[in-house]
Amino acid sequence: MFDTALTANDLIFLAKGAGMTLIVTGISVLLGTILGILFGVFRYQVGPWWAAPLTFVLDIFRSIPLLIQLVLANAFVTTVLGFRISGFTVACGVLSLYTSAYCAEIVRGGIESVPTTLRRAARSLGMTWGQDMRSIVLPLATRVALPSWIGLALGVMKDSALVFIVQVVELLKSTQILITRLQEPLFLLMICGLFYFVISFPVARLGGYLERRWSND
Amino acid sequence: MRTSILAAWAVAATAVALPAQADKLDDIIASGTLRCAVVLDFPPMGSRDAQNNPIGFDVDYCSDLAAALGVTAEVVETTFPERIPALMSGSVDVAVASTSDTLERAKTVGFTIPYYSFENAVVANEKVEMSNWEGMKGKVVGATAGTYEAIWLEGKVKEWGEGEFRPYQNQADVFLALSQGQLDATVSTVEVAEANVKSGNFPGIKIVDKAPMVPDYVALITLREEYGLINYMNLFINQQVRTGRYAELYKKWVGEGEPADLTVKGVYR
Repeated sequence: MFDTALTANDLIFLAKGAGMTLIVTGISVLLGTILGILFGVFRYQVGPWWAAPLTFVLDIFRSIPLLIQLVLANAFVTTVLGFRISGFTVACGVLSLYTSAYCAEIVRGGIESVPTTLRRAARSLGMTWGQDMRSIVLPLATRVALPSWIGLALGVMKDSALVFIVQVVELLKSTQILITRLQEPLFLLMICGLFYFVISFPVARLGGYLERRWSND
Repeated sequence: MRTSILAAWAVAATAVALPAQADKLDDIIASGTLRCAVVLDFPPMGSRDAQNNPIGFDVDYCSDLAAALGVTAEVVETTFPERIPALMSGSVDVAVASTSDTLERAKTVGFTIPYYSFENAVVANEKVEMSNWEGMKGKVVGATAGTYEAIWLEGKVKEWGEGEFRPYQNQADVFLALSQGQLDATVSTVEVAEANVKSGNFPGIKIVDKAPMVPDYVALITLREEYGLINYMNLFINQQVRTGRYAELYKKWVGEGEPADLTVKGVYR
């Protein structure tokens, strides 16, 4: 009854695409989070007036569609600057900045959620700014920011499907290649969706687990 | 004082003039990779094999060009509408993508001389006596309604004043009708004709002759201002034909028979 031309070889091909999705997502979320923490702390520390230029740049990354960012960044780097770098590098760079723009907001919100009175109490006990940030703000803010951060990571994983435009063959592009060859779009898209689910679900569950674990003390 | 100002100007002018020197041909050789835009849903020119690797006439043509340049080939899959944007945005160096050399496109990109040409073939039922395309006179012929070849064929039937023209919804219906004997002959591109004869899905059909229609010449494209690269590719295309590689690739991907003539009688280039 059910007949398909899909072979084990093609499944390996899809798995390779899924691997590429994971690598691009992993690098982007890691770099994006590091940058996001730096940007978020900076924005909170210096206040809205001095952070305005940075806020403006981050707003650009948040408000222009990722697809356009990728195409423009690729064109800028390869034709204007004349560097011959791989699409993979461009994809990771753009996606990292894109992630950092969202992450900066999450971090800023997390820091703001820590009561000012608590932080003043810490400083009046003789803690330095660094000690205050590490021992008071970090544990409290992380709890608040974690759910949004998990949401961001999952969102970036799905947004990474757009990096095909700079010739990175990730999961969705691999699926499209197979669709062109085998002409079974619905079946292949279902398999592709299943792959995305398999890689997203553990991350979502890990988030849920951490939330529960950290909330009962 | 005056000399030093002049000298400063000379230095400044040289600094401005210098960076414009290395062209794309140099860049490709220096980088060691030739990135070709190829359309991979257009067999036999471009498609994928069972291992999902790019194959086809255009893919081999790109590899040959890269080999001639002494670099490695990188096939970048594009769709037909994406070819020129990919070139303009710098994600590929050239497009080896069966691009028809229209004057409209030549305003944007630079064309080489034609490297391939899509001709049309007359395909007939084996039971019908026919030795060349004029044998269609007085026969029942048909083609996919609205296509270039259908318009040509219908015009010919009117011109001859005998025989009958039947339009069909799609290419498969035409070949089915031909195979079943409802049609005596049809006209389609050589590539489609060869593929259908080879596939065995339509028994009892044969390719008779090429139809005397204006062929669809296709050329390699790159950025409009890259004369160095265009010159190189023109010579490369000439060499491909001269060395017999063109005929070899035609035989490998399209089928037996003569590959299309890439020259136009009575005019240069």
